[in-house]
Amino acid sequence: MRNPYLPLPMKLVKNFTETSDKLIHTFTLEYLNEQDAESFQYEPGQFAELMVYGKGEAPFGIASSPTEKGILKFSVAKVGVVSNALHMLEEGTIVGVRGPLGNSYPLEQLKGKSLTIIGGGFAFTTLRSTIQYILDPANRGDYGDLTVIYGARNPGLLLYKDELAAWDARSDINLITTIDREVEGWNGRVGFIPTVTKEVAPKTDYAIICGPPVMIKFTMPVLVECGFTPDRIIMSLENRMKCGIGMCGRCNVGSKYVCKDGPVFTKAQLDQLPNEY
Amino acid sequence: MIVSKNEIANLLTQLAETYRVIAPVKKDGMLQYAAIKNGEQACLDDANTKKPGKEILFPQSEELFNYTISAEGIRMQDNVDKEATVVFGMRPCDVKSLVLLDNVFQNDQYTDVYYLTRRANTIIVGLGCAQPAATCFCSSVGCGPFAKEGSDIFLTDLGEAYVIEGISDKGKELLAKLSLAEAGAEQKAAAAKLQAEVTADGSINIEGLAEKLGGMFEHPFWESLHEKCIGCGACTYLCPTCHCFDIADEAKDCDGCRVRNWDACMFPLFTLHGSGHNPRTGGKARWRQRLMHKFNYFVDRYNATACVGCGRCIKNCPVNLDIRQALADVRALD
Amino acid sequence: MNTTEKIREVAKQLLADQKVDLVVGFAQGTLPLRSTPYFARTPEQAENLIWSATCENNLANFVRKRTDKVAVIAKGCDVRAIVALIKEGQINRENLTIIGVPCEGMVDRKQICQAIGCQDILEVTDQGAELSLKGKNFEKTLAKADVMFGSCKTCQYNTPVIFDELIGEALPAKEANYDDIAAFEALSAAERNAFIAKEMEKCIRCYACRQACPMCYCSECFVDCGAPAWIGKGAQSVDDNALFQTVRVLHLAGRCVDCGACERACPMGIKLSLLNRKMVKDVKGLFGAEAGVNLNDPPALNVHQFEDKEDFML
Ligand SMILES: Cc1cc2nc3c(=O)[nH]c(=O)nc-3n(C[C@H](O)[C@H](O)[C@H](O)COP(=O)(O)OP(=O)(O)OC[C@H]3O[C@@H](n4cnc5c(N)ncnc54)[C@H](O)[C@@H]3O)c2cc1C
Ligand code: SF4
Ligand code: SF4
Ligand code: SF4
Ligand code: SF4
Ligand code: FES
Repeated sequence: MRNPYLPLPMKLVKNFTETSDKLIHTFTLEYLNEQDAESFQYEPGQFAELMVYGKGEAPFGIASSPTEKGILKFSVAKVGVVSNALHMLEEGTIVGVRGPLGNSYPLEQLKGKSLTIIGGGFAFTTLRSTIQYILDPANRGDYGDLTVIYGARNPGLLLYKDELAAWDARSDINLITTIDREVEGWNGRVGFIPTVTKEVAPKTDYAIICGPPVMIKFTMPVLVECGFTPDRIIMSLENRMKCGIGMCGRCNVGSKYVCKDGPVFTKAQLDQLPNEY
Repeated sequence: MIVSKNEIANLLTQLAETYRVIAPVKKDGMLQYAAIKNGEQACLDDANTKKPGKEILFPQSEELFNYTISAEGIRMQDNVDKEATVVFGMRPCDVKSLVLLDNVFQNDQYTDVYYLTRRANTIIVGLGCAQPAATCFCSSVGCGPFAKEGSDIFLTDLGEAYVIEGISDKGKELLAKLSLAEAGAEQKAAAAKLQAEVTADGSINIEGLAEKLGGMFEHPFWESLHEKCIGCGACTYLCPTCHCFDIADEAKDCDGCRVRNWDACMFPLFTLHGSGHNPRTGGKARWRQRLMHKFNYFVDRYNATACVGCGRCIKNCPVNLDIRQALADVRALD
Repeated sequence: MNTTEKIREVAKQLLADQKVDLVVGFAQGTLPLRSTPYFARTPEQAENLIWSATCENNLANFVRKRTDKVAVIAKGCDVRAIVALIKEGQINRENLTIIGVPCEGMVDRKQICQAIGCQDILEVTDQGAELSLKGKNFEKTLAKADVMFGSCKTCQYNTPVIFDELIGEALPAKEANYDDIAAFEALSAAERNAFIAKEMEKCIRCYACRQACPMCYCSECFVDCGAPAWIGKGAQSVDDNALFQTVRVLHLAGRCVDCGACERACPMGIKLSLLNRKMVKDVKGLFGAEAGVNLNDPPALNVHQFEDKEDFML
């Protein structure tokens, strides 16, 4: 019997301060040996429990893409026990990883389809994974047009700035970044995600959306207006979790456990469930 | 087979030589499960234990593994409990709860090794209830005072003696080793009669309840149901089917240990998001979760009701919020 | 009219006149010897209100931080809690109508259970000073005074200290009685430690004690705090369980109204009021303060006087 509670030790190779407010760090982890990399097979959208020895573990979306071999990346906001401990770790420390957990974005089903990805704030982690995956030369041909709308309160709070610049330079991705209020030196758009989404009026086959509850709430009607049917709007939930394997009972929405049956659901699926997320 | 009551202590003492024997004992004025060496300690005559039988396989606090951190790296020590165990005298409702928990602790992808290993190494000797308590309603929720589901061996109390039946292969194997006397035809008939006659329905009827609850998430009923609830953990911690837990790290007597503790949906922090958002904000949402989980969500997921009618939540609720009343109220709604 | 009838009358009138939106009281429970908190919002619902020797919960719990106009059927200890809560700014006196009921003491199901060998009780008749109990194979009569809650036996404020209306006759005041605490203090330190350890071993950390306490209302209890984690969350450590109770009692210094709600709520029958009452006795002895006995005394923790004893400080 494999014990699903035991973490896999990994080495923290980079602790990078991602945002100007210093509240989000991106952690790059390396496997300690080859077999571990082999056994940790994941897909964009999945998450893992990240453990600081002596402090505990907490669930975080996997921000790296399976196409980035040999490493895992997580971007973590500093909010509590584990996240604070992570932020203070020195490079070279061993941390624990338990996963991959949960389902993933339906990338198989999305093949041949055009896609709009909408992200707000720091809920951009598994979206980064998805974009990196699709943009990989081995996969790009499998997918149609890719539009990405990504917003944050101010430019300093956007994650993955180098990658955003690289994506912006490419012709096979339509990247729209936006910030809440005008600041000097900003060349992208200004405005909240729902408004910007309305302006862009994406006409793709599917949409994936991740962000704070208010953003989701106001963007949803815009997507419906743009013609997306509920089965073509894909979302990822963030209920409080512990076990991540459907046993501890913490993360349920109706009879579904977000950790195991999700975190990825279509709007059509969520419309069938009680509004407890 | 049959064992007279004055031989039962000896039988347990004998079993305790080979197995860890866990039986109800009287401690601090309460009936509680405890490991015993001497059969005299067992108390099989009282009603059910204060704490539910789940604690034997899923203890309230349990160290999953511990680790030491040194220059050479991290060493992890897993604490899977493999000791061969006989649980003697568990009431049918608690036995049934284990059958329900089996669904939870093993799913299509994952196995909870701690629970499952204990389960595999445990023989359950169920004990029928000749005198169900006034708060029992097992017969209404797919169990009953003499339900044998989940028991490996089953005891029926005839006053002077217990009629013993081997139920599972595991149980029959153990019985074969014990050289017990065969029960006479009369005794067998008396046991069969008891088993057929004693019920505990608590005037509850859950037929069609799951479907009805399915359409009731937004019903105004929930507004008042919870009003007197003070939001403690009594009804869930003492419930044999409640399986919610928390996982935390503690550093005591070791560099670190991962422990799990019972937790419950009646506590506000249970669902508080990292962001501060809480999808279940008040008592209304929490009581709805408790009732829905037991009588709708669990049914939806595992095709069984997550209540075995043991009555513990009824007896122990500080404000007498009676789940039977809640169910009757749901039934009465149109 | 008996007390129940009078309560119904008053409650109906208040609701019919729309003087209050809600009357919090007790209704018949689902088990023998149980009544249950009840929320009447219409004159018809007020018909379900009752009064008996089993109205054990402290209803002050349900009138904290409310914005509606509420009436509460309150016995002596409920009112002490209400007074303390008014002083702590948790209850707006303007919005609360107190229907006081002098209380002769509530009976303790746990003691009754012990007295009858914990057989199933099926029927109870209240005969004034006695309760007659019937079960399948037994019949027994118990004097209420013998099976009263410890906190009721020593209660000095049976008659509510403030009220808008009093139902029934005021009861004579009683002398302070801390015999139980004196007996505990007379034990050796080792004996006291052993006793507390034995009690704390039973704790399942359900927090019913905290939740039932009218004075425990912190938005985040120290036991729940994750960062820092002040205390282990599991119930297996007797020390942690004792630490929880110690801090709970200390946080109630000068605030505990000695109603015994914590002990009544505890499903494991832990003798919690011993700790609380030791604190109550000491606060009274050292500072002459008693919580919730009038609206004028400032809360004990809010005042400092030069004559305050401080030899306990390190
Ligand atoms: C599937 C999934 C994916 C996620 N992905 C990411 C991600 O990519 N990046 C990311 O940053 N986060 C992500 N999260 C959120 C992340 O899991 C939480 O922020 C994390 O669990 C915090 O853990 P912690 O130990 O640092 O905080 P904790 O110490 O557990 O505290 C978390 C928050 O709860 C509050 N809190 C804790 N205890 C209490 C209490 N007793 N009373 C009141 N408040 C309390 C704290 O103030 C804090 O705000 C994800 C969550 C899920 C479920
Ligand atoms: S819900 Fe109540 S009656 Fe049902 S199994 Fe749980 S404790 Fe027993
Ligand atoms: S009722 Fe609540 S505590 Fe019990 S199993 Fe269900 S969710 Fe968990
Ligand atoms: S035991 Fe009673 S008061 Fe406590 S949470 Fe359950 S229903 Fe509420
Ligand atoms: S009510 Fe009793 S069992 Fe529950 S936490 Fe308090 S002392 Fe412990
Ligand atoms: S996190 Fe435990 S069930 Fe989902």
